[in-house]
Parts: sequence; C-alpha cells; structure tokens
Amino acid sequence: MGEAMKSQAVRRVGLALAAAVMAGAAAAAALTGAEAAKDRQTHMKELGKSMKTIVDQLKSGAPDVGTIKLAAATIDKDAKALPTWFPDGSGPSSGVKMKALPVVWTDKAGFAAKAKDFQLAAAKFDAAAQTGQPSTFVPALKEVGGACKACHEKYRTKDED
Amino acid sequence: MSAEPSDPLGSPAEASLTSVPVKVWDVPVRAIHWSLAALVAFSWWSAKSDHLDWHRMSGYTILGLLVFRLIWGFVGSQPARFANFLAGPRTVANYLRGKGAHQAGHNPLGGWSVVALLSLLGLQVGLGLFSVDEDAIEAGPLDKFVSFDTGRAITHWHHLMFDLLLVLIAVHLAAIAIYAARRRNLLGPMITGRARLAPGVEAPAMAPLWRIAAAAAAAFAVAWFIAHGLKLV
Repeated sequence: MGEAMKSQAVRRVGLALAAAVMAGAAAAAALTGAEAAKDRQTHMKELGKSMKTIVDQLKSGAPDVGTIKLAAATIDKDAKALPTWFPDGSGPSSGVKMKALPVVWTDKAGFAAKAKDFQLAAAKFDAAAQTGQPSTFVPALKEVGGACKACHEKYRTKDED
Repeated sequence: MSAEPSDPLGSPAEASLTSVPVKVWDVPVRAIHWSLAALVAFSWWSAKSDHLDWHRMSGYTILGLLVFRLIWGFVGSQPARFANFLAGPRTVANYLRGKGAHQAGHNPLGGWSVVALLSLLGLQVGLGLFSVDEDAIEAGPLDKFVSFDTGRAITHWHHLMFDLLLVLIAVHLAAIAIYAARRRNLLGPMITGRARLAPGVEAPAMAPLWRIAAAAAAAFAVAWFIAHGLKLV
C-alpha cells in the first residue's frame, strides 16, 4: 500500500468518525431535553412526596419531628436545585407530555423570581423545622405551599390528568 | 313501548288520578334532593375555581346527607324506604310494558335510578376523601392513610367519576322531560311534596319528626367523624 492511499484511508476513517461523533452529539442533545424533562417530573414528584410526608405527620396528632426535619431538609435541597431542572430544550418541544407551559422558557426572569421565592420559603421552613416546634414551622410550611402555588398558577397548565 | 297517552311508561294518565293531592315526599327527601342538586353544582365550581376549603365542606355536607338518606331508606317515610321501591327485574319489565300495580313514590325503574345516583355520588365523595393534589398541599381527610402515588391515582378517578355522574344526571333530567312530555309532572311533587295518586292507592305513611331528628344526629356524627380523619376532635 502506497503512502497516498494510506493517508486517503486515514482521512476516510477520520471523516466517518467525525460524522459518527456529530450524529451522536445531536442524538445526545435531543435525549437530554426529554431526559431533563423526565428527571424534572421525577424531582417534582419527590417534592410532592416530601410535602405529603410532613402534612401527614402533622395530621397524625403525634407528629414525628425527625421525619419532618428530614423532609424539610430535602425540600430545601430540592429548592436550591430547582432552577437547573428547566434547561433549554426540556419544554414541550422535547415531546415529553408535561404540564409545564412554554412561558417558563419565554419569561425566564419572571420564572426565576418565582423560583427564588420558593428557595427563600424552603430555606426559612427548613430552619424553622429544625427547632422541632410546630408553632414555628407550620406557618413557614404554609409559605412553602404558597410559593409552590404561586408559580404553578402561572407556569403550569390547569388541565387535569 | 306504547305511546298511548292513557299509559305513559306504565303510569296512570293524569285524568284518572285522584283530584286531591296527598303527601308523597316528606321534608327530608325533598330537602336532601334539592341540597344535593345545589351541592353537586357548588362542588364542581369550587374545585374549578381552586376553593378547596369550600370544596371539602361541600363534600362533607353531601356525605352527611347521603348517610341520612341511607338511614332514611330503612326507617324513613314509606316512599323513602328502599324495601318499598326497589323491585326485581320482572317488576321493572312489567312496568315498562305498562303493567303492574301503581304505587305512591318511585316507580320500579325510577327507584333504581335513585339508587344509581346516590351510589355514584357516595363513591365520588369516598374518592374525594382520599384525594390529594399534585403538590400535596390540598388533600381529603383520609389521604393520610394512603401513599402519594395512591392518592394521586384516586384523584384521577375522582375526576373521571364526575363525568360519569354528569351522564347519570343527564339521564335523570331526560327522564323527567320524557314524563313531562307524557303529561306526568314529576317536578311539582318534588317541590310541594304532594302528588295525585291513582284511584285505590293508599296515601303513604310519613315518619314522625323525632325520627328525622334522630337520623339527622346519627348522620351528622358519622360525617363529622370521617371529615376529621376518623378522629373525634
């Protein structure tokens, strides 16, 4: 095999590799949008579960403070991560069935403000929960619920599932 | 089915009825009927407009009324008792063919429609007790006994069941319209409590006031206990 032929073969392999890498990257990007959407839905559901854990404890008449503290810390941690759950491409265009409205991605400043409100409420509630005093943390929990609702009112469809 | 005006759906023609109307629907039956109609509409509106506190109160009231109606179906005035208006398939078929004895109160087909409506409403309230919204902020009083996933699935059924309830209500209204077209007024007696009966049909016995009070107290206690998450206070 001559040098010229060898370098041509190398170039072909190189081109094929480059094409494969690009196709892979494109596929990965598409997957990331849908995946991010699904991850977000899982996270949101976990948030709902944490809320229910706390509410159920309060309704039980003899709330387990340890369980509430743990769930409060989880909500605080989730709230801090929440803004990263909405990357570009994870909206309705990802093809995933969702209740998130496109306005999340068109009104980024407004959405960020709502996320911030939620983070503040969650941090306050977490701190209040660590005291173990329902009289302290129940009002803070209501603020968390209010922050959830305020954002969902505007950025989530009201359609039933 | 015969379209003769003398034989509408097995009921005697208006002209053959006695001229003096007698008491058929007592105050509890009428009050429950119209309260349920209003509260179903209110429940729908309060859910749609996010007034979940009102929605729960409405549901608890419906629950109390249904418990009362259940008790009344055993110890209430004659036309309210299940034993007096729930008939077997042959009686229903005879009624549709225009045969069979006339009686005061529900006819053999209407009796089953009442039971279907009340059962579905009871099921709907039951599902609502275990429901939870997707943020776990709003929940029924018995939601604490189920997981988040189960509560969400029940809420889904709570939504579907309402559509089914609307279908039954539409059938109920259509039946009233069909009887009206055949010159049988079902609406009037449900307002005044009085209806004209076929000759020879005895006026039904009405329950005394003390029994209304006793059934109401029992129904209130049951609804209270459930609404408070199976706790007394």
